[in-house]
Amino acid sequence: MLIAGAAIFFYAPTDYLQGPVQRIFYLHVSSAIAAFGCFAVVLAGGVIYLRNESPAADRFARSGALVGVVFTTVTLVMGMLWAKTVWGAFWVWDARLTSTLVLWIIYAGYLLVRRLADPGRQAARFAAVVGIFGFIDVPVVHFSVTWWTTQHPGPVIINDALPPQMLATFLFTMACTVVLAAVMIAIRYQIETLVDEREQVFEPAKVLVAREPEPVQ
Amino acid sequence: MNPFRVALAVARKDLRSEWRTREVVPALAQFIILALLIGNFGFQVDSRNAASIAPGILWLALVFAGLVAFGRTFAAEREQASLEAMLMTPASPVAIFAGKAVAASLLLIVCEAVMLPALSLFFGTPFSADVVAAVLIATVGMAALGCLFAAMVARVRARELLLPLLTLPLWIPFIIAGGQAVQSAMGLPGSYSEAISLLIDFDILFLVLTSLAARFVLDE
Amino acid sequence: MTYLILAYAFGVAALGGYLFWSLRRLRELERIQGGRS
Repeated sequence: MLIAGAAIFFYAPTDYLQGPVQRIFYLHVSSAIAAFGCFAVVLAGGVIYLRNESPAADRFARSGALVGVVFTTVTLVMGMLWAKTVWGAFWVWDARLTSTLVLWIIYAGYLLVRRLADPGRQAARFAAVVGIFGFIDVPVVHFSVTWWTTQHPGPVIINDALPPQMLATFLFTMACTVVLAAVMIAIRYQIETLVDEREQVFEPAKVLVAREPEPVQ
Repeated sequence: MNPFRVALAVARKDLRSEWRTREVVPALAQFIILALLIGNFGFQVDSRNAASIAPGILWLALVFAGLVAFGRTFAAEREQASLEAMLMTPASPVAIFAGKAVAASLLLIVCEAVMLPALSLFFGTPFSADVVAAVLIATVGMAALGCLFAAMVARVRARELLLPLLTLPLWIPFIIAGGQAVQSAMGLPGSYSEAISLLIDFDILFLVLTSLAARFVLDE
Repeated sequence: MTYLILAYAFGVAALGGYLFWSLRRLRELERIQGGRS
């Protein structure tokens, strides 16, 4: 059982130089990056599953999708709260927000497909296809601030426009968040393994043998 | 078996079946005309804003009509279990899929042939080859995606809910680029050639991806 | 500003809550199914 990394997640936003709301960005961006990582896991799991039908790959994909949706939700909500403070509105239809929302919808769809399709092979295959197509949106979200003119702040981290203390804080937070995501995926993977075993979704259909009538005492 | 002939045979079967029953095209055409009318009232269209609203209404109507048209592609197969029968033949699943996608897009194109003149008539926008080209190019890619997910949800519960949920996010690139193409073709600012080349890129990308994915979705 | 606190409260609650919920679910399942791995 993996409870290891959870305790690591202590972060310290050691200092802030602008208005306090700006601090949201540490967890907000880290969550987004963690979410992208999760969806990359879904992509990898999906591809591997389609290639050799390994139930473990499918379980990773499932877990990645669920944790990814959680992190995307956190990203969206924190972003909305920041937006209300800075822009005066919870939501604008700019490229980054829209593509992130679409990302959320895509993977929510992934989870729905899993739930609604025949459990086992069919659900896994269909979800894998959805997960693979859906990953197309991840680079779109990432590059949306460079490809289009958006209201969302531009790529500050990659362009090295952060003062060193903020950068350090951010990197630390990001590292912790990614570790947290990995731990969550691992936990979920265990859950899925147990659920799979109980419901025996991936085993070949067993013929149920009628029980012998018990001898009358 | 030659995949092209398989695809053609499947497409002809679907088209012939539609020709006999004439279910889809009249209903879709009617739906599209109604959508245009509602758009007119909903957006308070007058001669000044017609040109800027028309592209939006075009894509709105097209998207919903497309969902219906592609959503139906596998419905008949599911009801008569003929998909399993087709898959048992040596025909490649991709060819079967292609045939169905071609048939569905042709049906949608017939509806577009109704919609574009109607749009031009009601909204006073130019009915040019540019507009037609943009819509046709977009239809190709949208058809591939729509049919892929239609095949997927054909055997899943809650398919009317799931199909738009899965298909629309991936149609968004087409709507954005197509919207820009139609807008600039109708005289509003925007680069037509840029939008068209984007549409063609999306078509190629999604045609390739869809044909790779088709066998996983159709295979039993 | 209050939104900052709200945002982090949400983030921590959501992530922490999800973490704890999944840990509990895992423990429950392991208890029921004898902890096979």
